[in-house]
Amino acid sequence: MKVLHVIRREYVENVRRRSFIVSTLLVPVVMTAFFVLPLLLSLFVPERQYRVVVVDQVGGVGPEVAASLADTLKSGERMYVVESVDARPDATGDRFADERAARIQAVQDGEVDIVIAVPSTALEDGKTEYITRDARGFSIFERFTDVVSDAVIQRRLAAEGLDFARVKTLSVPVAMEMRQIGAAGDVRERSFIAEYALVFIFVMILYMAILSWGMTISRSIVEEKGSRVIEVLLSSLTPRDLMVGKLVGVGAAGLTQLSVWGLGGLAMSTASGAIALLAPLDIAPAVFGYLILYFLLGFLLYSALFMAAGAVCSTEPDAQQFQGLITMPMIVPIMALFLLIQNPSSTFAVTLSMIPLFTPMIMLARIILLEPPVWQIVLSVVLLLATIYFAVVFAARVFRVGILLYGKRPSLREMVHWYKLAK
Amino acid sequence: MSPHAIEVRDVVKRYGDFTAVDHVSMDVPRGSIYGLLGPNGAGKSTTIRMLLRIMLPDEGSIRVLDDDVVRLDVDRIGYLPEERGLYKKMRVGDVLVFFAEIKGVARGDARRRAGQWLERMGLSDWAHKPVDELSKGMQQKVQFIATLIHEPELLILDEPFSGLDPVNANVLKDVILEFHRKGHTIVFSTHMMEQVEKLCEHICLINKGRVVLSGTLASVKKQYGHNGVTVRFNGDGAFLGTLPEVASFQDHGNELFLRLRDGALPARILDAARGRVEIVRFEVAEPSVHDIFLERVSES
Repeated sequence: MKVLHVIRREYVENVRRRSFIVSTLLVPVVMTAFFVLPLLLSLFVPERQYRVVVVDQVGGVGPEVAASLADTLKSGERMYVVESVDARPDATGDRFADERAARIQAVQDGEVDIVIAVPSTALEDGKTEYITRDARGFSIFERFTDVVSDAVIQRRLAAEGLDFARVKTLSVPVAMEMRQIGAAGDVRERSFIAEYALVFIFVMILYMAILSWGMTISRSIVEEKGSRVIEVLLSSLTPRDLMVGKLVGVGAAGLTQLSVWGLGGLAMSTASGAIALLAPLDIAPAVFGYLILYFLLGFLLYSALFMAAGAVCSTEPDAQQFQGLITMPMIVPIMALFLLIQNPSSTFAVTLSMIPLFTPMIMLARIILLEPPVWQIVLSVVLLLATIYFAVVFAARVFRVGILLYGKRPSLREMVHWYKLAK
Repeated sequence: MSPHAIEVRDVVKRYGDFTAVDHVSMDVPRGSIYGLLGPNGAGKSTTIRMLLRIMLPDEGSIRVLDDDVVRLDVDRIGYLPEERGLYKKMRVGDVLVFFAEIKGVARGDARRRAGQWLERMGLSDWAHKPVDELSKGMQQKVQFIATLIHEPELLILDEPFSGLDPVNANVLKDVILEFHRKGHTIVFSTHMMEQVEKLCEHICLINKGRVVLSGTLASVKKQYGHNGVTVRFNGDGAFLGTLPEVASFQDHGNELFLRLRDGALPARILDAARGRVEIVRFEVAEPSVHDIFLERVSES
């Protein structure tokens, strides 16, 4: 069983590579960070007191803001120390511009953290200013937006003789939350954006995994041809041993990587129930199983083609042209993704998922979105397996003839000719 | 059991319109050192690839180690390709173990043998380094170890000495002779004639895909007769080649090898040369393989 030695070599050499170790560990970290980091960061912004000045040309807005900002620090102190400057025009003229400029100078000198400037025009156009040196405190900015907005609206309503609290109670907006019911009757909270991000991430991971491992195979064959290792190999092994050994060995390396990612994702997903921070990662465990299933099938299909491309080319640039050709059908599912998410059970989506070259990515996306009927999943897998069989037979023939050919890259027509020869 | 390790009969191999190997027949006696000679592009490498079942002939038959080449047990053969090939990123020790394993050597055994050979070749310190950190000469030695680590009965070496410095070439030669003494058959292709003269018992000269000469070294030389002279001189000796006694000649610049017609006397050449050039050396000699090679290649 010489093929076992080829499998072992391909596996060990691939898994030992630094790039393998780095990407295997880094991808889950980056993916998690993508979801969790913004939340995490806002939680860990250090607590401190802010010195705030409201320059109020409207009148009454400043005191209202000061009254609303009752937030306290853990120590019990007030988080915002608000000074209200009444800048309404009076006998001495309009002091708003001067007051505003003076306070901005104070911000510059570090005596004040935040200046809120509310001109009288805000009653009509709603335009106010938030002036600070540190523009990163997004949550604080949002807090002020709300409070100042309420204060200005209150002034407007007061001018009409209406009660602010009453209006606010009456105009509470309707909240609608999305819930998805799974096959098992379980209900998950969903939002369209989160859905799209989730599907996109899974499909991209699948795409990158199939592409990069397929290219790895193609590149290793071109390299063996280039260094003439191939002659030593073929004087010891049959082309079949070599081809099967590569498919299984490299496939196993890819599987290892994806399993690490899958387990990482599963752990996050399991933890998502307990840790609020991980809520967007609440994913059905079966999805990870399907990710691995469709990776294996997609890898076999595309790698057979990548392998044939590698076998007939002697140089990397030659091989890249074929690789480009093979990559094209992989891009279609990504382009179709947006349409798919809007209606994952449309005839368009179902048809696309049954075309073996598109099946892995489209089907995975559909499974995440709606759990399609079992017969569709089974049919897609059967069609895919049949296609894999033909692709491998085709690749084996091209491989056998092409592997010892050096020099000029053959035309597709010549490849078809070899295919017939190799029968 | 056939007395021949390799029997090639009327083998033809074509690449499109080009006939690379044209009705070649050859017998490699068991236990011999067999030199496959020929200029670049003569068809040596194609012939060797067919012996190894890497390619199949279009016509003719090949038997290797008593079996049709199609059923060949490749584990009994060691092959050093003309253009060296090793996995550049793999560690030296791992490469050797892998190549031994795919020739049927058990892993533990392969490790032990790799260690021994690396030690013998002075490469022990490099066992854990990736191949591409080794110099070209070192890589050649590693490749050579990979060729024979499984103790093959038949060694096929395509240009084993090309690109090696004299010290390493000598190490290689010693190993080849050691295998020869143990009774292994060795076929090597080359165009370095001094090596042929020193090592080979049998030779086969191929040119343009055809065998132009074959047999034992002694019989080939005999076939060419002993009737030759080497003249080393100062002056213009071009006229020597035009003497009526001379059948053909090889001009080496300061030295001429003249093959004489049957019955011609070497002394006549000496007489003719004396007085017209200053003779440094005059020797009645058998033709070297080098001379035979050049002559036959230019004829065919």
